[in-house]
Amino acid sequence: MTQTAVVTSATPSRTSNASRRFKRGVISVLWALGGVAIAILMWELVKWVGTLVSLPFDSGDGTMPHVWTIVDAFSQPEVRGSDTTVLQAVVASAAHSLLIAAGGFIIGVSVGLLLAIIMQRFSFMERGLLPFVIASQTVPLIALAPLIVGIGNRISFGPVQWNTTYSVMFIAAYLAFFPLSVGALRGLHSPTPTSLELMRSYAATPRQMLFRLRFPSSLPYLVPALKVSAAAAIIGTVVAEISTGVKGGIGRLIIEYAREASSNPAKVYVAVLGALVLGLVAAGLVTALDLYLTRNLPKEGKA
Amino acid sequence: MSDSTAVNAKGIWKIFNEGQANEVTALQEVDLTVDQGEFISLIGPSGCGKSTLLRVIADLTDATKGELTVAGLSVHEARKQQRYGIAFQQAALFDWRTVRRNIELPLELAGWDKAKRKERALELLEMVQLSDFAEHRPWELSGGMQQRVAIARSLAVDPPLLLMDEPFGALDEMTRERMQNELLRIRLETGKSIIFVTHSIPEAVYLSDRVVVMSPRPGRITDVINVNLGDRNEDTRESEAFFESVTAVREALRGRTGNSGSSIRARVGEV
Repeated sequence: MTQTAVVTSATPSRTSNASRRFKRGVISVLWALGGVAIAILMWELVKWVGTLVSLPFDSGDGTMPHVWTIVDAFSQPEVRGSDTTVLQAVVASAAHSLLIAAGGFIIGVSVGLLLAIIMQRFSFMERGLLPFVIASQTVPLIALAPLIVGIGNRISFGPVQWNTTYSVMFIAAYLAFFPLSVGALRGLHSPTPTSLELMRSYAATPRQMLFRLRFPSSLPYLVPALKVSAAAAIIGTVVAEISTGVKGGIGRLIIEYAREASSNPAKVYVAVLGALVLGLVAAGLVTALDLYLTRNLPKEGKA
Repeated sequence: MSDSTAVNAKGIWKIFNEGQANEVTALQEVDLTVDQGEFISLIGPSGCGKSTLLRVIADLTDATKGELTVAGLSVHEARKQQRYGIAFQQAALFDWRTVRRNIELPLELAGWDKAKRKERALELLEMVQLSDFAEHRPWELSGGMQQRVAIARSLAVDPPLLLMDEPFGALDEMTRERMQNELLRIRLETGKSIIFVTHSIPEAVYLSDRVVVMSPRPGRITDVINVNLGDRNEDTRESEAFFESVTAVREALRGRTGNSGSSIRARVGEV
């Protein structure tokens, strides 16, 4: 029948789909590795050109160490005579920062979502609140961070003492909530008038309206917002760690290693690479979340 | 009025932006009675208020003035109790639900339990001949199939009245005619009263017991044309009586017969 033809052509069998996706995955990994290889080659090329002609910047080993020197720096002991290598220190502090960022992300996403729901539900709230939400992001983080830490350190709930780490988490949440609340607000507003009338015709309660229509409709908007929020949480964490100097995270490591720049220039890059990998891991986690949330929605190129 | 009327509207007015500079009278003094089991089409040019009238009956917008009951209830009560099903030009199926779960949506909101919901949805899928697609996603279906799912969904709670706002407007001609036959078959099986908004004269004539002709600025009913074609089949579309009714509706739309409509009704009656 023609009906069957329509459907079979729209949904290719699962196996061929899976194998195609696998092949596409392998290809994109190869592209990524190729990109890294090209970056390394460019780096070394610039250094080599620098030995032939004079460049407008210093390409010597003191500023741009060789790639192998940087790789080698990972295996060095962190301080002379210690058991821990630089790699271990970088991984440990990156993991520490990732946890703080994750906490900030979860808080930020929850607050952002809640704000979006309130703003969608009550239009006077949207008019009243949205300018403040936007204004909150115009305050420079660098100015805000010491302030938050300063206030935070004076907070204590009985025996529980405020920890500067909480302030860092707060700053991460402060950055993360914004993209999410704006994206979620757009998403909650996204159902078509027809879908809304359909739900009204069923006499749906505001709660049913939210959970059965508005929230699922907002997923295509929510997912990119989650990605931006995750990146914001990471940046917020690292910047807050740097500006407050709180120990344990990758931000602190960047400052410490930067101090050794003159004696051991490779170490600076080691910390920066750690922050970079941290960002990639966060992006990967959010992508996994994305695949889960949108598993029932039409994929691009399908349908 | 009595409970035997599916819809009873008396002196309905709908005025948008009342008292402002951009005031628009969408409906003026509209009277309409739909009997139980009757198929009524609303036809007229864009802006004649036919969709507005449907939305007033559905309690999706309030009438400015007038009395209106659906199945003997106030429109608000009728909506609360899901006493009508509705279908729009867009199927408005939810992408994140399977076809079956889309049909279950009104049942979920009416508080049916899971097993009964599933049973009812499968029954309806059989009626619209889409049983094989129960677990598919809506975006995997063609436009005509999606619209059939939407019709099945509108029948889910077994309401006595169906409101349809150009449900076949976005379909190609062949699919459209198939869907019309399908709708008539469903109507025969279920005995629903149907109010059907359309732009298409042949569609209105083919489907309806009565065609209600409306005109714009201000939106009002100018004619009501009875259609007596008996049981429809493919030959009906080519019959003399069919063309006569089409002509009658077309002339009514052009306003040839004035506002009384009595002469035209007499002529149709003779056929």
